[in-house]
Amino acid sequence: MSNRRSRQSSSAPRISDDQIIDLVTKLRQILPEIGQRRRSDKVSASKVLQETCNYIRNLNREVDNLSERLAQLLESVDEDSPQAAVIRSLLM
Amino acid sequence: MQPTSSMKEEFLKKWQMGLQIYRPLIDNTSVSERRKAIKLSADVAMASLRKGTTCWSRALIQKTATEDNFLVRQMLSGIKAETLINKKLPKVMCHRKIVRRSKKILRRRQSRSAIEEVAAKARKLVKKKTQGLRNVVPGGEFMSNDVLLIQETLDYIVSLQTQVNVMRSIVDAAEAGSERTAYYLGKLKFAIEDG
Repeated sequence: MSNRRSRQSSSAPRISDDQIIDLVTKLRQILPEIGQRRRSDKVSASKVLQETCNYIRNLNREVDNLSERLAQLLESVDEDSPQAAVIRSLLM
Repeated sequence: MQPTSSMKEEFLKKWQMGLQIYRPLIDNTSVSERRKAIKLSADVAMASLRKGTTCWSRALIQKTATEDNFLVRQMLSGIKAETLINKKLPKVMCHRKIVRRSKKILRRRQSRSAIEEVAAKARKLVKKKTQGLRNVVPGGEFMSNDVLLIQETLDYIVSLQTQVNVMRSIVDAAEAGSERTAYYLGKLKFAIEDG
């Protein structure tokens, strides 16, 4: 039974070296901070993956931040002010 | 690939639609409820850009639907909302803990050279980081195929960049006083058209 299970997981292909290289290229275009040095493909692969996770987390955090700012803004703005009119035209 | 101007435009339109749905509620809710509404509309808007063609967008729509079913249905009306919300996500492919344990037992029986050890450690690290990626991409836990995971990740990142880009422009413009609004509106228009 355990054989069947291990067969199932090995049928899902692991990331190949070519795919890593492809991913690094694509991510380099998106994340300029990734270092140019490469000691070995595998080491940079884990670094790339880590940077990717961090980047995604940061983007999500920024969305939360922006939502909070907007919510605060809608709360504090005076209904009749020109700023309210601007917000209304931007958002609604 | 970068966020294109058409992606940004479409996101903005959908997000505005979501906010309009919330309009009657906005005056009578707390700041935190408003923030949640803004974020949920933004997430559905981002996910709907993909029209159900990616795993992460379907997972995100389903997740949002559990928090606000009404909003999701309204925003997706016309884009097969029912199927997207109810479509079953695939079951987890295998019990990783059990596989890991049986593999560990098999490995203990083999002896390895130093080079093999290093390679094995590197592979293990990659595997760990890949798992980390599964935790941040919506629906990642259902992507046992690593190739799929990477493709989904790249698409998800571009969509997130679109979302952040547009939201940032809007919030900056909204926060500015009316004197500087013309400047920010111009910047926003420029940002959207320039791609």
